[in-house]
Amino acid sequence: MNPGLRDIRACFEGAIPSAIATVAADGTPNVAYLSQVHYVDETHVALTFQFFNSTRRNILENPRALVQVVDPMTAAHYRLQLEYLRTETEGPLFEKMKAKLAGIASHTGMSKVFRLRGSDVYRVLEIAAVGGARAVPEPSRQHLLSGLRACLSGLIGCPDLARLFDMTLLGLQRHCEIAQAMLLMHDCERGCLYTVASRGYAESGIGSEIRIGEGIIGVAARERTPIRIGYAAREYLYSRAMRESFQKCGDGAVLETEIPFPGLVDSGSQLAVPLVYLDQLRGVLFVESPQEMRFSYEDEDALTVLAAQLTLTMELLAQVADQPEDGARAVKAMPRLQGRPLTLKHFAVDHSVFIDNDYLIKGVAGAILCKLVRDHLDSGRSEFTNRELRLDPALGLPDFSENLEARLILLQRRLAERCDSLRLEKTGRGRFRLRAERPLKLEEVPRR
Amino acid sequence: MNATVLSLDQAQRRFITGPVAVNIASRSARGVPSIARAYGCHVSADGDRITLYLPAARASALLADVRGGAPVAAVFTRPATHETLQLKGRRADIVPVDAVGRERMRAYARLFREELVAFGLEPRFLDGMLAPVELEAVALGFNPVAAFDQTPGPDAGRPLSGRA
Repeated sequence: MNPGLRDIRACFEGAIPSAIATVAADGTPNVAYLSQVHYVDETHVALTFQFFNSTRRNILENPRALVQVVDPMTAAHYRLQLEYLRTETEGPLFEKMKAKLAGIASHTGMSKVFRLRGSDVYRVLEIAAVGGARAVPEPSRQHLLSGLRACLSGLIGCPDLARLFDMTLLGLQRHCEIAQAMLLMHDCERGCLYTVASRGYAESGIGSEIRIGEGIIGVAARERTPIRIGYAAREYLYSRAMRESFQKCGDGAVLETEIPFPGLVDSGSQLAVPLVYLDQLRGVLFVESPQEMRFSYEDEDALTVLAAQLTLTMELLAQVADQPEDGARAVKAMPRLQGRPLTLKHFAVDHSVFIDNDYLIKGVAGAILCKLVRDHLDSGRSEFTNRELRLDPALGLPDFSENLEARLILLQRRLAERCDSLRLEKTGRGRFRLRAERPLKLEEVPRR
Repeated sequence: MNATVLSLDQAQRRFITGPVAVNIASRSARGVPSIARAYGCHVSADGDRITLYLPAARASALLADVRGGAPVAAVFTRPATHETLQLKGRRADIVPVDAVGRERMRAYARLFREELVAFGLEPRFLDGMLAPVELEAVALGFNPVAAFDQTPGPDAGRPLSGRA
């Protein structure tokens, strides 16, 4: 029996070059090597269109092409009879192939000559195994499925977003052997993504930001499609040194650059999977490895399932996050605090907050902290609810709920990392407490 | 296609008989392409006759097309440098491989294996890749009538001339 396209996806990873034969209108055959054969679905592949060469001329004259691919483990050869259908020059398929090509080009030292002009989409008419080769699924595939199942089990019963994020990353490490992972949430007002949880990095990078369209995370977010590369390309790496100190977001707001992005310096493989709910971008799940070719098509499948489940669970938790649990709680009055005051300086222009002159956070999370501290100083309260934050017009929070919850997680974690004497504690569903160990002092710098 | 037979220069001969991946293509009467991997290459003393060695069972469609009188195109690429050369022939002849040819296939396998080992490819892959050199094979000979530099880049496809 002939193999299906899915059975031979390992051949499309770019490890072993594929050859393509085409025929000109006058009957002259042409044979060339290909940078990339991309699996589109069970009956379609896409090839890179980089140059106006004989292959290109030929397929426009005679749409029949034959591609020979090689399994990188067994060296089994397969021949795919193809029929050219169309060329895509933008959109998810194009962006996926462009990112992958950039990785291959950078890996082979040919970044300058490899530019993707288009993704040529072909229908697969027939697949033949050369010399009767059998496609053998890699055993890791089955482990991946049980790993995914264990990951998903870990999401069940998470009481809140913070726990959900941590369990997702922990599950990847424990059950899928993916040690470097992070979750970024979408800030739709500012057109960027901010890191809300990470695992496996020397610095957590929580609060660091990436523009939509920047690097593989930003492109995966913009195109709402997973992007996976086996050779991480220089132009897709997030090096702090390479970044301008004041990058503009979509609306002209300044991107967070004080907090370095936690990515691996020597990243070999990367996979970014968007979190999408009803066509709305919620965030991105990003994993990477120092090892090249670490993530396969099956990893991409598994993480796409995980991302879908994660997004749905986020939505479910968001629906209840704004409804505080019933029953007013007996709140112990905060003891009178002693010692040198902790000085919070808030700049209204971008809501950046400095604690004793050390930068903490900016944007929505900074505005929230300022409001909490102001209320605390004005009325002595330290217990708050998500609901009142959402209703506060000064904060201008977006509609969907997990964004507020994610901002609170971000703020809570930045405080935990940067400040010993001020904490944000969850006290129940939709409720939290500002806990200070020292007296607080707020200096507000108005917008000029 | 220019009908004048090219004579390959020394550098081109060294290149295509070196540690290169070789694939040859042809087409059916209806314009459907065929392809096969070759295991070894020999160039005549004059540089105007190319012989490629092909395991017959892995090249049946291509061999049928060639026997039907279809033209051929062969591509040679060196993994370490990406240097790539394509040769075209108006027609090709097929004869069973003899003892000399078989020895050339084995010599090619040794040379190409060394090249691939340097890339860190696993023994399992190398064994699979080179096992066909022991299969029943044919020698496919053709006179090159055109040569093209296909090293990836904007110059890919540039026609080359042979020895003057």
